[in-house]
Amino acid sequence: MLNNLIFIVLPYAALALVLIVTPYRWYTNRLTWSAYSTQFLERKTLYWGINPWHYGIILILLAHLAGIIAPGVMKRLLGHMDALIFLESVGLGLGFLALFGSIILLLRRVNSPMLKRVTFAGDWVLLFLLIAQTATGIYISLFMRWGSQWYLHTVVPYFYSLLTFKPQLEYMADFPLIFKLHAAGAFLIVALLPFTKLVHMLYQPITFLKDPPILYRWLSRARERVG
Amino acid sequence: MTINRTGSDVMDVRAQIVMAFNLDKCIGCHACSIACKNIWTDRQGAEYMWWNNVETKPGIGYPKRWEDQEEYQGGWVADGTNLRLKGLGKGPTLLNMFYQPNMPKLDDYYEPFDFDYANLYKAPPGSDQPVADAFSQISGEKMPVIQGGPNWDDDLSGSQLYAAGDVNLEEKRLIEDYGRIFMHYLPRICNHCAHPACVASCPSRALYKRGEDGIVLVDQNVCRGWRFCTSACPYKKVYFNWASGKAEKCIFCYPRVETGVCSSCAHSCVGRIRYNGVLLYDADKVGDALLRRDDQLVEGHRGVILDPRDPQVREGARKNGVSDQWLAAAEKSPVYALVKEFGVALPLHPEFRTMPMSFYIPALSPVIGSAGELFEVVEHGEIPPLESLRAPIGFLASLLAGGNREVITQVLTKLIALRIHMRAKSLGRPAPTGALQAAGLDEAGAERLYRLFAVGGYGERHVVPPRQREELEAERRKGERGFGILRKTRRGK
Repeated sequence: MLNNLIFIVLPYAALALVLIVTPYRWYTNRLTWSAYSTQFLERKTLYWGINPWHYGIILILLAHLAGIIAPGVMKRLLGHMDALIFLESVGLGLGFLALFGSIILLLRRVNSPMLKRVTFAGDWVLLFLLIAQTATGIYISLFMRWGSQWYLHTVVPYFYSLLTFKPQLEYMADFPLIFKLHAAGAFLIVALLPFTKLVHMLYQPITFLKDPPILYRWLSRARERVG
Repeated sequence: MTINRTGSDVMDVRAQIVMAFNLDKCIGCHACSIACKNIWTDRQGAEYMWWNNVETKPGIGYPKRWEDQEEYQGGWVADGTNLRLKGLGKGPTLLNMFYQPNMPKLDDYYEPFDFDYANLYKAPPGSDQPVADAFSQISGEKMPVIQGGPNWDDDLSGSQLYAAGDVNLEEKRLIEDYGRIFMHYLPRICNHCAHPACVASCPSRALYKRGEDGIVLVDQNVCRGWRFCTSACPYKKVYFNWASGKAEKCIFCYPRVETGVCSSCAHSCVGRIRYNGVLLYDADKVGDALLRRDDQLVEGHRGVILDPRDPQVREGARKNGVSDQWLAAAEKSPVYALVKEFGVALPLHPEFRTMPMSFYIPALSPVIGSAGELFEVVEHGEIPPLESLRAPIGFLASLLAGGNREVITQVLTKLIALRIHMRAKSLGRPAPTGALQAAGLDEAGAERLYRLFAVGGYGERHVVPPRQREELEAERRKGERGFGILRKTRRGK
């Protein structure tokens, strides 16, 4: 029952929400599409929270994605003991960095009166959820050794089974509860993404890198002219 | 940055609606700031923003010490053959998205406050008179001591604390010496620069310059709140709305100027110091002009501005879609007269290299009252020589000419010659011969300047051509709900 909920209902619900709500929000309410930075109001503690958090979690997320996108490459890479130990240690370090950052961010919201008016239920939910997610991830990394290796042989095939709409629970069913919580947390975060400020991560400044510096808009020409 | 060249013989002529300020006439009444605030920034998240503000010079301004680019890292630097943002390039921009080292913080502006007036009649009976306590408009908590405001250093108040910190002031003791102390006001809006650093810094590409009238705007639907514009603008005229999480700035009252009315700050100006008009400029030359040495930048800037009567210029302008009505307005433009024809209006801090499109006529300051340790009264005629004016040439040169004292001297010479000429004329005396000519003016020019400075009415001070019907896209905008943001932009999502 729990397995069905976590590994079938939740992922498909999350996927559906992301695929439907995100474009809906993009086309109807782009005005709220912001990272809602609070650096303007409080920056001393922010520095020690936001940088560790982002630099830690982005790399960890990329590592999770790498296993799904290129399982073959990752299997060969992690076949070497040295590489495995190195990557696991770096990953654990980044995990602690992200945990440290997210806890600082939580304490900052609690302690700074300037942030009272810019803190909403969504901010608290995300902070607690992300801290819990990072903590369970660190626990798995510490006590269920060589996760980067067995991830490729359990989670990755399960993901592929999800994508082909033939979910194979047997890959996941026998994991301990803490792992299932980690998975549930991940799906929950994905589900919340289109409803919260997390949408900020769906915007990547790509055009910025190749554009000329000064951007012009000509109303009369009804097109953008850069010059 | 690369310098763009169209490669054709026709000049890339662009039109821009521009403001000029006559600092001699500014009385520092803040009517412009209030007019602007009432229309545009009287809402949550924008309480601390003053798209238009008036500073006292010498002073540290708003936000504090905004002119100090070693601290704020705004604007551009000329790097031999290239211009690059002084703050963060593209790579560092991506690495500093989460926390920005150069972003001004709330304390650099001030914590906006209001007063708890309800307490005056709601307070329980007691032995003391109830008072209206100040409370923060951000946290809502009581503020026992108000720490600052948008014009905290007004009229040289707290000179030792504030005016002494003015980066343009070479001699700090000037503000202690009552015989030599000086001040003037500096009203500031967004300069709607020809080479805006805010636009270049935005990774979301939310900021843009309008092709038709040069107004620099933030597209609220594209802005993602990365805040690089607030850091990159050397004039600190892009603000971060703490409630909506997006950047906002002066919009040159575009809903007004599009209909041919001057901007609200200019309209409300008690001293009638402001001029709205059209300038034509050569977009191809902007890059080169900004590569010059600091003290050559004013000359470069003037060189970019084109004569609207020149047939070649008119051809280039027409090719870019500048209408006849706009060309006619450019010919009558008071700003063109002040900036180019007479060369008395200067860009603010040209050395920031954004090519600001607002221009200031420096003020003629009072005459030095005493000199030396004996405080002897300095002798001067009815109209003083330049050197005896209290505002040091170096100070004005640092403010308006990239350190070039010669440029300031030329402008002040013109202003004084005009004064000598008009004084003689209004007293019915013969004008001293050669004064106008020595300053590079003639009788007709003096008359035109006098009209612009002193007696010109609304129609002379503001020549604002309305947006052309062809540009309005009426069929597309018919379904829109007018200007303004009607949708809720609060946090909580």
